[in-house]
Amino acid sequence: MRYVVFSLLKKDFRLMLASKFFLLALGSLILYSCYINLVYVRLDQEIYPVYLYDPMGVQSTASSAAIRSESAEQMHQACSDGYSVGIDASGRVPRIYMVSSGIRRTDNSRAAYAVSLLFPDSETKTVVIGTNTKEMKNRREITCEFLFFELSAVGFLGLASTLFKEKQMGVILVHSTLPVSQTYIVLSKLVLFLAADLIFAALLTLVNLGVSQGLSVLPAVMIQAGILSVVMALTGFFCAVCLQGFRQFSLLYLILAVFVTTPVFLAGQTGISWKWIRYHPMYHLFMALKNAYFGMKPAGNIYYAVCAAAVLSLFMLICRTLKHEMAKEG
Amino acid sequence: MIDVKNLRFSYKKGHETLRGLTFAVDDGEIFGFLGPNGSGKSTTQKILTGILGGYCGEALLFGQKPDAHPMDFRSQIGVLFEFPYLYTNLSALDNLNYFASFYPAGRRRNAAELLEMLEFKKEFLRKPVSSYSKGMRQRVSMARALIHNPRLLFLDEPTSGLDPSGAVLFRKIIEEERRKGTTVFLTTHNMLDADLLCDRVAFIADGEINALDTPQKLKEQKNSNMAEVTYLYENKRCTVSVELSRLSRVFPFPHDKIISIHTKEPTLEDIFIQYTGKGLIS
Repeated sequence: MRYVVFSLLKKDFRLMLASKFFLLALGSLILYSCYINLVYVRLDQEIYPVYLYDPMGVQSTASSAAIRSESAEQMHQACSDGYSVGIDASGRVPRIYMVSSGIRRTDNSRAAYAVSLLFPDSETKTVVIGTNTKEMKNRREITCEFLFFELSAVGFLGLASTLFKEKQMGVILVHSTLPVSQTYIVLSKLVLFLAADLIFAALLTLVNLGVSQGLSVLPAVMIQAGILSVVMALTGFFCAVCLQGFRQFSLLYLILAVFVTTPVFLAGQTGISWKWIRYHPMYHLFMALKNAYFGMKPAGNIYYAVCAAAVLSLFMLICRTLKHEMAKEG
Repeated sequence: MIDVKNLRFSYKKGHETLRGLTFAVDDGEIFGFLGPNGSGKSTTQKILTGILGGYCGEALLFGQKPDAHPMDFRSQIGVLFEFPYLYTNLSALDNLNYFASFYPAGRRRNAAELLEMLEFKKEFLRKPVSSYSKGMRQRVSMARALIHNPRLLFLDEPTSGLDPSGAVLFRKIIEEERRKGTTVFLTTHNMLDADLLCDRVAFIADGEINALDTPQKLKEQKNSNMAEVTYLYENKRCTVSVELSRLSRVFPFPHDKIISIHTKEPTLEDIFIQYTGKGLIS
C-alpha cells in the first residue's frame, strides 16, 4: 500500500510540474514580495491627508502632519479628491470639510482623525496592550490579503485543474478499473497541494514579515493557511468533478471570485459592515488568518469543529461523486 | 468466467440501453461482442468491468458481482479502452510503471519487455506520450492492459488506429494470451478481428442480443449455398449465381467457356445485417 501511495504522489507531483503549478506559485511569491517591499510599505501615506486653513495662525498646537493651506479655496480644492479632510480654522470654532464617502462611520472616523491632528496633545484614556509599527502593521495586513487571495484562488483552481487534465487525457476512467480506492486518489492530490500551499505561506510570511516577526506568528498562520487551503482545494475539486468542462468551471470561478471573496475583503479590510457577513464562511476563514497574522487569540473550538466537519463532508462527497462521474467518462 | 442473466440498464428513465442480455463466457475463451455504435457494447463492458452500477439482472464474473470485492476483482482484469488513455506528460515506461504499481509485485510484467513484444519503437521509450502516433499509443495501452497478467481481458476495438501489420501483431498477442489461459472479452465492430479471433460471437443491436454462436456456425446458418459462375458465351462475358446442388453434373445454362466459379460465403458483417437489419458501422 505504501508503494501505491508513493506512486500516486509521484504521478501527481509530475502532473503539477507539467502544469507549471510550482512556477506559478514561485512567480506569485516573487511578485507579491516585490510589491510589498518595493511599493506598499514605501507608500508612506497618512491615513487621510488633512489640510488646515488657519489665516490667523491661532492653531499653534496643531500637528505638523496637517498640511497648511494658503486660502479657503485651496483647502476646498484639496478636499475635493473625496479622500482628504479639511479644517477651516478661520472662525471661532474650527469646521471640518470633506466630500462624504457615503458611509457615516467612515466619515466620522475621518473627522475624528482630523480633529486629533488639530489637538494632538488632548488626553484620551487609552490602554496600550501592544506595540506595532506602522510598517509592520501594513506588512501583516497586505501579506494576509495576498495569502488569502492566493490560497482561495489558486487553491480552488489548482487541484481542479489537475483533475480536468486527467479528465481530458481520459486516464480518470482508467483509474476506475485499477485496484485503488478513490480515497487515495483524492488524498494524494490534496496532500501535495496542501504541502505546496504551506510552503508558500511560510515563505511569504518569512520574506515579508522578517524572520523574527514571521516566526512568532508562523505556527498560527500555518494552521489557518492549512484549513483555508484544504477547504478551497476540496471545494474546487468537487466543482471540477461535477462540472463537465473547464469553461463551466471558469465561469463558476469568476462568480465565486466576485460574489464570494469581494464582500469578505470589504467587510474585513474596510469600515463597511454587514450583519449577514457573519454567516459567510469565507469571512471567518479570512478573519482567522488575519488574527493569526496579528498574533490575536486563536479562533474558538466551534470554528475548528465547523472547519473539520466541512472538510470531512466535502471529502466524503468528493469520493462518492468521483466514482459516479468516472463512469460517465470515456 | 462471465455469467450474465437478463441484464438491463437505463441511463434515462423510459429508455433502456440494455434490454435483458443473457450470455456466458467460458474460461480461456475469446468472446466477441459485435454491434454498431450506440448498441450497448460499451455499457455492457462498463458494467462487467465494475465501472457502472445500478443495473438490473445478474452479472457474475469469477462467480461474484464486480462490486462485491472491487479491489480483488480489479486486480484480476485488464482493460483496453477504445481510445488510448494515457498520461501524455509521461513516457511509455513511466506510464506502465505507474499503472503497474497498483498490482502485486509478483504479478507484474517487465514494462520494457512487454513494449518490445508489442514492437514499440525503442527510441520513444523515454519520450512523452504526447509525441507518439495513435498506433504507438495503442501499443502502450495494450501493454497497460497486460502489465499484470490479468485472468480476464476486456478489449475494446483493440486494432483501431493500427496499420495492417500492427493489427496482425495484436491478433497474434491476443491468441497467445488465450493460450496462456486468459479469457478475452472482445468488443468490436471490426468483423475481421471477430472472425479471425473469436471462438464465439454475440450480435448486439438496440440493447439486445440477436444471435450468439461461433462465427463459422453463424455463417453456415445463413449460407445461401450459391456459387457465382463467370463464363463466355457467344464472345460475351457473363456472370450468374447458381445453387451449388445444381452444379453437381452439368452447368444449367448454355456456355462456351467457364472462366471462374466462386462459392458465395457470407461475411460476418453480412450475417450481422441479416440478423439485425443494421450495418456494423452505423
